[in-house]
Amino acid sequence: MSLTSLDVTGFYALLRREVLRFVRRPRNTFVPPFITNVLYFSVFGVILGERINEIAGVPYILFILPGLIVLGAVSNAFENASFSIFHGRWNRYIEEALTSPLSYTSMVGAYVLSSATRGVLVGALVALIGAFFTSVGVAQPFYLVAFVLVITLLFAGLGVVGGLWADDFDDLTMMNQFILRPLVFFGGVFYSLNEIPATFQQASLLNPMIYMVNGVRYGFLGVTEVDPNLSLGVLTALTLGVVSLNVVLFRRGYGLTD
Amino acid sequence: MASAIEIRDLTKSYGDVRALDGVDLDVPEGSFFGLLGPNGAGKTTFINILVGLVRKTGGEASVFGYDVEDDYREARDRIGLAPQEFNVDRFFPIREVLEHKAGYHGIPHDEARERADDVLKRVGIYDKRDTRFDWLSGGMKRRFMLARALITDPDLLILDEPTAGVDVQLRHELWETIVDLNDSGTTILLTTHYIEEAERLCDEVAILDSGSVIEVASPEELMDRGTDDIVVQLRDPPTAVPDFAADDDRVEAVELDGTRLVVTAQQGGLVAPDVVQALDRQGHEIVDLEISRTSLEEVFVEMTRQGEGRATAEVEQ
Repeated sequence: MSLTSLDVTGFYALLRREVLRFVRRPRNTFVPPFITNVLYFSVFGVILGERINEIAGVPYILFILPGLIVLGAVSNAFENASFSIFHGRWNRYIEEALTSPLSYTSMVGAYVLSSATRGVLVGALVALIGAFFTSVGVAQPFYLVAFVLVITLLFAGLGVVGGLWADDFDDLTMMNQFILRPLVFFGGVFYSLNEIPATFQQASLLNPMIYMVNGVRYGFLGVTEVDPNLSLGVLTALTLGVVSLNVVLFRRGYGLTD
Repeated sequence: MASAIEIRDLTKSYGDVRALDGVDLDVPEGSFFGLLGPNGAGKTTFINILVGLVRKTGGEASVFGYDVEDDYREARDRIGLAPQEFNVDRFFPIREVLEHKAGYHGIPHDEARERADDVLKRVGIYDKRDTRFDWLSGGMKRRFMLARALITDPDLLILDEPTAGVDVQLRHELWETIVDLNDSGTTILLTTHYIEEAERLCDEVAILDSGSVIEVASPEELMDRGTDDIVVQLRDPPTAVPDFAADDDRVEAVELDGTRLVVTAQQGGLVAPDVVQALDRQGHEIVDLEISRTSLEEVFVEMTRQGEGRATAEVEQ
C-alpha cells in the first residue's frame, strides 16, 4: 500500500472517530447549546429585545442572531478540538494515532475538520432555534458560508493548540471562561459598535471576534460595521497560519512526546 | 541475518538524567528478543523511541532499515505495540477501537472489521466486542492490548510487560499466541520482569541497566556463566571435605553438612559425573543426587548488582 492511499484511509478513520465521538454524545455536545440559546433568544431577544430599539434598521432579536451563531459555532469548535486532544493525552489513547503511520498533516486535518464540523452543526442548530423566534433570511449566502467555515476552522485550530498546551482540566476551563468568553461578549454579539464610546470602539477593533460576528451578520442581514472582504481575507490568513502552526506542533511533538 | 531493529549510540536525556546512555543493539529479523532490566533501566524509553512517543537526544534508531524519525511512517507501519500502561480509547466499544487503529494504518473499514473480529477471537474476548475497555476484567484488558497490537499484522511486535498482573493460565495462553506469531515470522521484542518468561521464550536477551546494554546473549549462554549446585546425599558422612576444586577449575566451592555434600560449579551437568565417580572411588555410597541449575534470574540479579556497584563507584569518584 502506498503511503498516500494509507494516509487517505487513515485520515478518514481518524476523522470518523472524531465525528462519532461528539455525535454519539448529544447530551454533552448538542443539548447544552440548545438550552443556552433558547434562553438567550427568550431573554435577550423576546423579553429585553422588545424594549430595545432597532439597530441599523434591524429588530434586536434579529441583530443578535448572527452573533449567537458565531458564539455557538466557535466555542464548540474550540471546545471539541481542545477537549478531544487533551482528553486523549490525559488518558494516553491519543497514542493510538501517534504510533500509527498517519502523517502529522493528516492527524491535524482530522482534528481540525471534525471540530469545525461540530461548530458548523451547532451554528446551524442556533439558526434553527432563532427561526422559531423570528423570521430569518440570508442576504449574502456566499459570505455566510465562507465566514462560518473560516471561523469554525480557525477556532478548531486554536482548540488544537489549547489541547496540546493544557496540563490539566482547569487549563481547559480557564481558556474557555477567561479568554474565549470575554472575547465573544465584547465582540459585538449583543450590541452595535456605534453605541459605545469612540475609545471603546477603537479598542474593540483589536478583538478578532468583531470581524467574525460582523461577517456572519453581513451574510444574514446584508449590514455590517466593518469591511467583509477585508475581514474574510484576514481571518482566512489567520486560519491558515494557525493550522500550519498545528502541524508544526504535532511534528515537534509539543505536548505529545517526551 | 538482516536486522529488524538497529540501534547505534542511542541516547536520551531528561535534563540531567540520562535515561539511555549510548545504546548499541541489533535485533535480528524473525527473532524472539528479550529486553531485561530493573525498573528505571530505560526499557520503556527505548521502546517509546521506536514508536515515536519519545524523541531521542542522539544516536540512530531504525526499524527494518527505516529511520524512526526521518522515515517515521514506514517504521511505524511495521510495528505493533502492546505497552505496559493501558492507553486505550475509552469512548468506543473495543471492536470499534480496533477498527479505528486498523484504519490509522490504512486498512479499509470493511477489512478492518473482519480483522477486528479475527483478533478478538484469537485472544478469546470476541464475546466482549461491544464492551468498552473500562468494563473489561484485568486479564481481558491484557488480552485486548495484544489484540490491538496484532490488528495491523505487524512485522515487529513489541510487548512491554505483556503478562504483568495476569494469572498463570492466561500467561501460558498469551505465551502460546506469541510463540505462534514468532513461528510464523514475526519479530518479537519482549520486555519482562518475569525472568522465567524470557528464559522460556527468547532466543536472545539484552540486559539493560542504568541506560546501557551490559550484555547480549542467549539465555543458555547467560545461564552457563552462572554456577550450579550439585547436591549429593551420602549414606555415611565423610571424614573430610573432598577437594574437587583441585582437579577441576570449574568447581568453585565444596561444602559438607553431615551427609549432605554441596559442590558449586560452573556447568554443573558436566561436572556431576566426575563428582560421582570420585566419590565412588573413595568408597562413598550415594543415596541421592540433585543438580540445581542456576536460573537466568540469578544471573540477571548478579549482573545488574554489578551495575549498581559501578554506578556507586562512579558517584563516589
